[in-house]
Amino acid sequence: MRRANADAPCCAKRCGDSGERAFQPYCHRYFATLYVVLADALDVLLRPGLLVSIPDAVYVEATRVRGAPGADRIVEWINAHLDAVRIIPTDIGIDQQRRLEEGRSIRGLGEQAAIETLERFLRSDPAAEALLLFEDTDVEKRRAIVDQRVSLITTGDFLRELEAARLIQSADYVLDQAAARGRNVERQHGAGEDAETRERLRDQLARRGAPEF
Amino acid sequence: MTEAERYALIRQYAAGEITWHALRERGFDDYVQVLGALGELGLRPPIAPMTGPNVAARQRGRALLRQALRGQR
Repeated sequence: MRRANADAPCCAKRCGDSGERAFQPYCHRYFATLYVVLADALDVLLRPGLLVSIPDAVYVEATRVRGAPGADRIVEWINAHLDAVRIIPTDIGIDQQRRLEEGRSIRGLGEQAAIETLERFLRSDPAAEALLLFEDTDVEKRRAIVDQRVSLITTGDFLRELEAARLIQSADYVLDQAAARGRNVERQHGAGEDAETRERLRDQLARRGAPEF
Repeated sequence: MTEAERYALIRQYAAGEITWHALRERGFDDYVQVLGALGELGLRPPIAPMTGPNVAARQRGRALLRQALRGQR
């Protein structure tokens, strides 16, 4: 099997059965999830009726930082849909844990875990086909060398199809909401950092005997 | 990277001139930073036109998704 491009973030598998195709697992990546988390639209991921499979490293990326945007909502959403959503263990996920323990970078491991998950899907069943979700700008500029059984979709394509099927009101609305809430999250983070900095400064000054302000 | 440089990159990204991959190489670690900056500028994440080296695979993908959605009705 040819390898998928390293930026192939999301996959779905379907199995042929006497000509009738039934979709099975479907896995996705952090930034795609972020759009829908920040737009309060996580359930759109279930609209195609696919079993959602999230690679472990992707799940960790999305939820490991307490208070990270949407982390709590992702956990709650998975627990509310255990019949339709599952976390897929990967070797990359094991490597990610090791790197976290050693304080090393984990950049890009979510994508690698998605590729590993895809390859396992395809290996497990000769009739398996996969759908990879790419970030829009990457798919337009970079060639994805993939197996013929693999098809691609971008986050934008995904939302447009949901819009065409009248399952969401507007793809643009989801994207606007994601950007607007992302801005608020960034501002909250900034404000939190300022408060933390002020607190540290106050402590230092108090230790030196300087007056409180 | 200055704030002005950061916003310039985000404008290029929103216009589809540079990729998310390029943003990461220029120092954006987290897509929330990208969404946040897009929100600050009143822009939305770009949607790729149906062009480029992966058109056939994307058309297959949209057809597969459409089929799955039809199956849910």
